[in-house]
Amino acid sequence: MTTRTDAAAKADQRRRRVPYLLLAPGMLWLLLFYVIPMFGLAITSLQEGSLEQGYTFTGNIGSYVSVFTTYLPQLRNSLMFALGATVIGLLVGYPLAYAIAFYTSRWKSLFLLMILVPFLVPFLLRTLAWRVILADQGVVVSALKTVGLLGENGRLLSTGWAILAGLVYNYLAFMTLPIYVSLDKIEPSLLEAANDLYATPWTAFRKVTLPMSMPGIISGTLLTFIPAAGDYVNVELLGNRNWTMMGNVIQSKFLVIIDYPAAAAISFTLMAIIVTVVVIYVRRVGTEELLT
Amino acid sequence: MTQGPDSTAGASTPAVELVGLTKAFGDIVAVDGLTLDISENLFFAIIGPSGCGKTTTLRMIGGFEEPTSGTIRLHGEDVTGTKPYQRPVNTVFQSYALFPHLTIYENVAFGLRRQGIEKSEVNRRVGEMLDLVHLAETSRRKPRQLSGGQRQRVALARALVNHPRLLLLDEPLGALDLKLRKEMQLELKRIQQEVGITFIHVTHDQEEAMTMADSIAVMRDGKIERMGEPVEIYDDPRTRFVAGFLGASNLMEGQITGSDSVTLTGGHRFHVSADKLVGLAGAVHVGVRPEKIHLSPEGASPAHANRLAGVVTDSSFIGVSTHYLVQTELVGELTVVVQNLGVTRFAPSDSVTLSWDPDHTFVVAR
Repeated sequence: MTTRTDAAAKADQRRRRVPYLLLAPGMLWLLLFYVIPMFGLAITSLQEGSLEQGYTFTGNIGSYVSVFTTYLPQLRNSLMFALGATVIGLLVGYPLAYAIAFYTSRWKSLFLLMILVPFLVPFLLRTLAWRVILADQGVVVSALKTVGLLGENGRLLSTGWAILAGLVYNYLAFMTLPIYVSLDKIEPSLLEAANDLYATPWTAFRKVTLPMSMPGIISGTLLTFIPAAGDYVNVELLGNRNWTMMGNVIQSKFLVIIDYPAAAAISFTLMAIIVTVVVIYVRRVGTEELLT
Repeated sequence: MTQGPDSTAGASTPAVELVGLTKAFGDIVAVDGLTLDISENLFFAIIGPSGCGKTTTLRMIGGFEEPTSGTIRLHGEDVTGTKPYQRPVNTVFQSYALFPHLTIYENVAFGLRRQGIEKSEVNRRVGEMLDLVHLAETSRRKPRQLSGGQRQRVALARALVNHPRLLLLDEPLGALDLKLRKEMQLELKRIQQEVGITFIHVTHDQEEAMTMADSIAVMRDGKIERMGEPVEIYDDPRTRFVAGFLGASNLMEGQITGSDSVTLTGGHRFHVSADKLVGLAGAVHVGVRPEKIHLSPEGASPAHANRLAGVVTDSSFIGVSTHYLVQTELVGELTVVVQNLGVTRFAPSDSVTLSWDPDHTFVVAR
């Protein structure tokens, strides 16, 4: 009998080890390539010196102060563009996801594939393609001029609108797919039940479809807002110097000016701000969803 | 003694009138020119095999499916072409279709809130309804935290709380296990009598329909094949399909040879009550339900007028009754179900006489 319980105890022990073994590779990866570099970055941000003399750790917080004294406009640009891209992305992505989930029955996979196909082209090339689309001699500009939405000398390339368009486009799939997944899970009988219980199609949407797709909306908006706030490629290729975002500052500090402490401090600040915005957003939307 | 559903209604308008109702999906005609009156406060069941059009009929009454042609009147008012949310009808869906993001309380309150009913009134009615289905203590939980039987009752409460004049039930007990289903059958019947509204219940389970319904329509290929009170259509199914679908039958080939008799192909005569031959002539099947047959040992005087001789080939004891297979020379094998009352039991190879009352003999067209 004792051998049996021994074997059982051993099996139990082994079973308890399984989750740790499964977690190990991921944790190790995060530790090596995320946590340790973050520490490095934190230390760098508190260093002082120059490229020629080398940087030494002095606990100086000057780099953080200069984020708020020097780079407030870029910070504002980052948050505004990210917010704009998220809102427009939601307005475009939600109907798109809705149409695919409810109206494409047989062609569902084709439409989903069409959303994913642009991702076979590298990010940079996709953004460069928008230079052609929005070019001064391009179709879009001449069309807008014809209908009078754009003046004689008006242009799209190198404006804030071009940056916004690029951001919306580049992150649209991240908005659309999570929303599609949550909409696709809604049983048609639930909407019939709502109709049966005196809800008009619009009320059924507000009271059933929308709250049930909230998890998708939250994921989609986060997957758009977070990378968009740190983006620098769209400004570089589609915008101009007036619209520089935090990402551009970080990129030039790290790679052009080679001021590591400043670059590290800006990175940390941007991260902290994004985390704060996200936490406030998720808590607000999350609780509202529970109340309705 | 037996009153049809139509005669009980008297002069009042029926709860539901279907006139020439037809629904086609492409080339397939799901419901084919259905005309039907269902009177007020009736528990009405529509049964039939899958694909017979029973669910489509229900969905058209609920407004989820637009009829290809025909008219639907609810309490005399033409509602054909109106939307579900415009009809004074509520539905209990097959999969319950409870809103997973709302609490049980909010699920039940959903319809009342859409009608703009005052908050205190909503509170009172939801509380009352949750009491009726014994779920008061679950009001703050979400549907996924409830068992199948509880969810079923929430779906019922969510529909009934609106005091509809007509409740539609689409296979409402299909997802429950046998024991729970039996309990809910009695519960549904109790609630229907308590709230006193018309129930239309769609099911493929003939036993369930007979347990609960005041009146049953048997559908086949988009048409009603037989309609009436459970006892009436069980005892006189009229068509071979109904005889086979509602319970078990022993069918024997024969010819009508008089105003109250049928002669088997082999020459043996059975007595039948004359009203069961109305509208029939020539070649028919004569039938008898397995539990209506009396078995007596060979030589003893049989209990009833219609008789056949046979040999027991198989007997299986199943608690309340014993099922026998009896081989007869004239009509092959018959099934006989005998209540276990402690009288003689028969064993395979026993010679027996089968007998049954002419009143328990029915005839269907061949």
